[in-house]
Amino acid sequence: MTRQELLDRRALARQLSLAGRASVADVLSEADSNFKTEKPAVRIGVTGPPGAGKSTLIARLAASRLQHGERVGVLAIDPTSPLSQGSILGDRIRMDEIADDPNLYIRSMPSRHAHDGMADNITGMLAVLESHNFDNIFLETVGIGQADYSVRTLVDTVILVVVPESGDTVQAMKAGVMEMADVYVVNKADRPGAKRTVTDIQSVLALKENNPGGWRPRVLQTSSEDGDVLLLDQAITDHLNWRRDNVDLLAHRRDQARYNVEMLLNRRVGELLADAEPAQLDRPISDIYADLVGRL
Amino acid sequence: MSLQGKRILIAKPGLDGHDVGAKIITLALRDHGADVIYTGIRKSPDYIARTAVDEDVDAVGLSVLSGSHQEMLVATLDQMKAMDAADIKVFIGGTIPPDDHAALVAAGAAGIFTSEMNLEDTIARLEVALA
Repeated sequence: MTRQELLDRRALARQLSLAGRASVADVLSEADSNFKTEKPAVRIGVTGPPGAGKSTLIARLAASRLQHGERVGVLAIDPTSPLSQGSILGDRIRMDEIADDPNLYIRSMPSRHAHDGMADNITGMLAVLESHNFDNIFLETVGIGQADYSVRTLVDTVILVVVPESGDTVQAMKAGVMEMADVYVVNKADRPGAKRTVTDIQSVLALKENNPGGWRPRVLQTSSEDGDVLLLDQAITDHLNWRRDNVDLLAHRRDQARYNVEMLLNRRVGELLADAEPAQLDRPISDIYADLVGRL
Repeated sequence: MSLQGKRILIAKPGLDGHDVGAKIITLALRDHGADVIYTGIRKSPDYIARTAVDEDVDAVGLSVLSGSHQEMLVATLDQMKAMDAADIKVFIGGTIPPDDHAALVAAGAAGIFTSEMNLEDTIARLEVALA
């Protein structure tokens, strides 16, 4: 790496820290002076339950895109402890094989106050990454449950990763994140039950209404075989190409605005409730609510 | 005092694979509010320095039980300097004989934590050092 590249990396790392730590007031005061983006990056969200292999899969997808000379940024979120507010950020350990590539930047972030698989100020952090001219940004969510699909709003393509024998999970998820992905991956497919899980997902998807010209979600199996990841990479590219011609960008931007405001309000409400005198909370809920709305 | 909001990289340089200590420290730091990144075992000083820069950490803790603490500390500090990141504090811990402490401090160690130290003392000292 050249000296300038090193300095750029440090600057990027620091800007991400600042963006991640920004308070609600900070975000509001800087909201419209956002980082400039010359060329928007492709944003790929990777989500799924804990232990499904999200980080490892990102590393392999990133490797494939790095080989084509593309620049790749990874933002990997791990959960904040509700007890200590601390965290262990262990995603990058799975990405070691590619960590030497100067065209790759990996950043681990704690979820902090966010409970939707994302992190505080995720929008600001993505904007920082994007301003550093990455071709691809991978966003790895916290290991999620059935209702955590905020990632949908923030990225272009959503990949949901599950493991074989997730039959029950698939069932449980069919009304939440199960409806939100563009590409479904049954990872660790060398384990027994992979085919069954693929069939389960396909049967859930088959119940969905099919719009003519709409994207038909792909269901793939991946294992440690390299060919699997190439197929997944292709499915992502196919979706991105489809999206370019078919997605209503204005509606997508409005969804993002809705999400950003909602998250800021959530945090502000959290702050006000945390600061409230305990006795205030003994009042009827309608009074607490009215008081809170008044102070917003 | 707490380590809330501090980002700390716990790293195992060199060839020793004994990382129970590193993992105990990682958990203790998290329990005191820090955001902790653990590298896993057998990492090069170059890898550790790059990770420290990319993750914008406030401190690096090297865990060495192989006897090569002096070499690993110096090599890591050299890499950090080369990356313009000499401001990130580097602590070292593990099995480190008392006779070696002065040389480590002279080389630039921000603090030394040996295996026999009480965990609460370790955290308390770190809280002061990173305040």
